Amino acid sequence: ETHLKIHYILPREEQVLEAIDTRDGVFCAELLSFKHPHVANPRLQLSSPEDKCQQVLEPPYDEMVAAHLRCTYAVANHDFVEAYKSFQAHKEENWYVSLFKQKCILAEQCFKSAEQQLQKKGKGKVGDMLEKAAEQLMSCFRVCASDNRAGIDDSKKWGMLFLINQLFKIYFKINKLHLCKPLIRAIDSSNLKDDYSMAQRVTYKYYVGRKAMFDSNFKLAEEYLSFSFQHSHRSCQRNKRLILIYLLPVKMLLGHMPTTQLLKKYDLMQFTDVTKAVSEGNLLLLNEALAKHETFFIRCGIFLILEKLKIITYRNLFKKVYLLLKTHQLPLDAFLVALKMMQVEEVDIDEVQCILANLIYMGHIKGYISHQHQKLVVSKQNPFPPLSSVS
Amino acid sequence: MNRSAASRPRPHSRKAGGRRREEHCKTEEKADDVAPRGTCTTMCPISEVRQREAQNRLHHFEVLAGTERNRLPRADVCRAVKEYSRPAAGKDTTRASELRPPDVLLKTVCYLVDDVAACPSRQPWTEVYSFVFDRLRSVRQDMVIQRVSGPECASVLERTVRFLLYASYRLCGQPLRLYDPHINDTHLQESLSWLLECYSEGQHQHQDEFQALSLLYNLGSPRALQHALELPHKVRHSSPVQLALALNRAYMERNPVRLLRLAQRLDFLQACALHRHLLSCRRDLLLLYSHGHSSRNCRFPIQKLADILSLECSLAAQLCQTHGIHVNGDYVVFSKGSFTESPSEELQCAHMHKLVDDKQQDLSLSNIIHGIA
Repeated sequence: ETHLKIHYILPREEQVLEAIDTRDGVFCAELLSFKHPHVANPRLQLSSPEDKCQQVLEPPYDEMVAAHLRCTYAVANHDFVEAYKSFQAHKEENWYVSLFKQKCILAEQCFKSAEQQLQKKGKGKVGDMLEKAAEQLMSCFRVCASDNRAGIDDSKKWGMLFLINQLFKIYFKINKLHLCKPLIRAIDSSNLKDDYSMAQRVTYKYYVGRKAMFDSNFKLAEEYLSFSFQHSHRSCQRNKRLILIYLLPVKMLLGHMPTTQLLKKYDLMQFTDVTKAVSEGNLLLLNEALAKHETFFIRCGIFLILEKLKIITYRNLFKKVYLLLKTHQLPLDAFLVALKMMQVEEVDIDEVQCILANLIYMGHIKGYISHQHQKLVVSKQNPFPPLSSVS
Repeated sequence: MNRSAASRPRPHSRKAGGRRREEHCKTEEKADDVAPRGTCTTMCPISEVRQREAQNRLHHFEVLAGTERNRLPRADVCRAVKEYSRPAAGKDTTRASELRPPDVLLKTVCYLVDDVAACPSRQPWTEVYSFVFDRLRSVRQDMVIQRVSGPECASVLERTVRFLLYASYRLCGQPLRLYDPHINDTHLQESLSWLLECYSEGQHQHQDEFQALSLLYNLGSPRALQHALELPHKVRHSSPVQLALALNRAYMERNPVRLLRLAQRLDFLQACALHRHLLSCRRDLLLLYSHGHSSRNCRFPIQKLADILSLECSLAAQLCQTHGIHVNGDYVVFSKGSFTESPSEELQCAHMHKLVDDKQQDLSLSNIIHGIA
C-alpha cells in the first residue's frame, strides 16, 4: 500500500518539482490548487502526509505540499474548519506572490464553507474564526510590508493591497472598522499605491469609502465610492450595484438625487420612494419608504444613514413653505402645520424652533428665529442655499 | 491509515472581551472539554475566610459584631464574601471547593444587594459601592471559570448591570479617589455586552428592559443602534426599546428639545442610564439656539428655556452664563458669536440631577436592582 501511494504522488511530484525549478509561480499555483484534478484522488488524501513529502521534496516545499495534502484530506472529509487551519504562509521566496495569492483565494473559499458549517453551531464561532483568519492574514501582511530586500519588480509589497482588501472584508464582517485605520495609513504612505491593478484599487476604494461613510465623512466617501463605481469593470453589474448601494445615500446627503433610470438599471428600486420623498420634502413618504424596505436597508447597514436624510427633507419641506408664503418673515405656525400635514407625531412649536435652529446652525437656512414674534426671519438673498454648497 | 483526532473541531465558548479571555486562558489550557464545577456552598470559601481572618484582611462589613476592636477581628461567616483576585502565574483558580456554583452565586448577589447596597445604615455609600463592586467582580470571575451561560448567567448579570447603572448616577460628581466613573463604565459595558450575548439564545423575561438600557446608556452609538435594528421583531417593537430608539433618533437628528421631552417618559433606572448624556444634550441645545436665535434685538424668556431644558430657572440661568450667553433679568439674549464651549468648574452634572431624582420617589433600592416594578 505504501508503495502505491508514492507511486501516485510521484508523477505529480515531477510536475511540481519542475514548476519549482523554473520558479513558475503561476503553474505551481495551478498544480496545488483545488481546481486541479489530483484533488479527487483518494490516495492523495492523507491526514499526515508530512513523512512522505519529506522523502521526496526538499524544504520548504515539503512542508508546503504537506499542508496542501492535509487540506485535501480535510476537504474530502468535509471538515472545512480543519482545512482552513492547514493554510500557512511561506516567507522566503517572492515568486510565491501569485502562488500565495492563490492560497489566499483558496483560504477564502475554504473559509466560506467553514463559515457555513460553523453558522449552524452558533454566531459566536464564526466571529472567532474570522478573527483568527484576520490574524493569519495580518502576519502575511507584515511580511509583505517589511520586504525591503528585492527590487521593485519582485517585491512582496505587491501583495499588500490584495491582503489589505481581504482584511477589510473581514473587519467589516466582524464590525471592527477601527482596525482598518493602520492599513489605510500603510497604503497612503506607500509609493506603489497608484500602480496596483485597477481591480484591486476599485476594491480598496470601495472599503475605504464605506469606512468614510461610517465616520460621517461624506465628501470623502463620495470621492472614493465614485472612483470605485466609475472604474469598476463594465461587465460586473453585481459589483457596480453593491457600490451604488453605498454611494447613493452619500450622494443624496450631498443633495444629488439619482434618476429613476439609474435605479432601474441596477435593480435598486428600493431607493425610488426615498429619493422622491427627500426631493419633495415629503416626510410622510420618507418614513413609509424607510419602513417598507427596512429589512433591506438594515441588512446593508445603510438604514441609519438614510435616516440622516430627514434633515434634508425638513429643509426641502420648509423651503416649500417659504416659496408658498412669499415673505421673509415666516410665522412658526406655518411650519408646524406643514409638519402636522406630514403626520409627524407629537410635534409642537418648541420642537419646530429646534428643527429650524439646527437647520440654521448647519447653514441650510440663512436667518434667525424671533421667539417674541413667533417668526422665522430669513435673509432676503438666497435664504435656502443649494444643498451642494453646504458642507 | 490513522484518522487524525485533530480534525475534530474543539468546543469553544464565545467570550465577550479581552478581559474575559485573560481571566480564562489558564483554565482553557488545562481542561478543554469540561469546565470546572464549583462545590463551595458559602458566599466565601472557608479557606479564604480563615486566611483573611489570620492576615487581618477582613472588610469591616464581614467582621463579627463585637470583635471589631480585637487585635484580630473574627469573621462573620454569614457575611464574608469571596474577594476578587487577579489571576497570576502559579495560582490555581479552578479548585472546585473554592468555586461557587450558579445557585450560590445568585444567593451571593442577592445578599450584596439586599443586605449591603440597599441597607440604609451602611454609610458612606462610596464605601458600600467599593465593596459590592469588588465582590460582584469576583462573582463574574467564578462564572467565567465555570463557563456559566444561559438564564443563570443572565440573572446575575442583570442585577450587576442595574447596580452599576444606579451607581453611575448616585456617585456622579464624587471625588476620583472615591469613585472612578471610567472604571465603572468599563465594567458596565463588559457586563452589558456579556448579558446581551446571553440573550442571543432562548427566551428571557427581561430582555426588552436591557436592550433599552443598552441603547440609552450608549446613546448615539452606531454599533448599539445597528444591534438594536437587528433584534427579533417582538423585542424591537416592545415599548422600552421603542422609547429608547425614539430617544436615539432625536439625538441623531440633533433635536435636543425632543430628546429631553421624551426623557420625561423614562423610568428611574432608564433615566440613570441616560443621565451621563444629559449635560451635553443641554449644552447642545444652547449651542443650536445661540445660532438659531442669534439676533441683538431678540430676547428669549428664561422660564421657557428652563422648561425645555428640564431645569429649574436658576440653574438654567447659571448654565447660560457659563456658556457665555447673556442673561438679562427674565430673559436671555442669544448670539452665535458669544457662545463658548468651555466646561465650568462650578456647574457639574451632579447639580442637575433633578430630572432623574424625581423619578426615584419611594422605590426601594432593593426593588430597583432586583427589577421589581
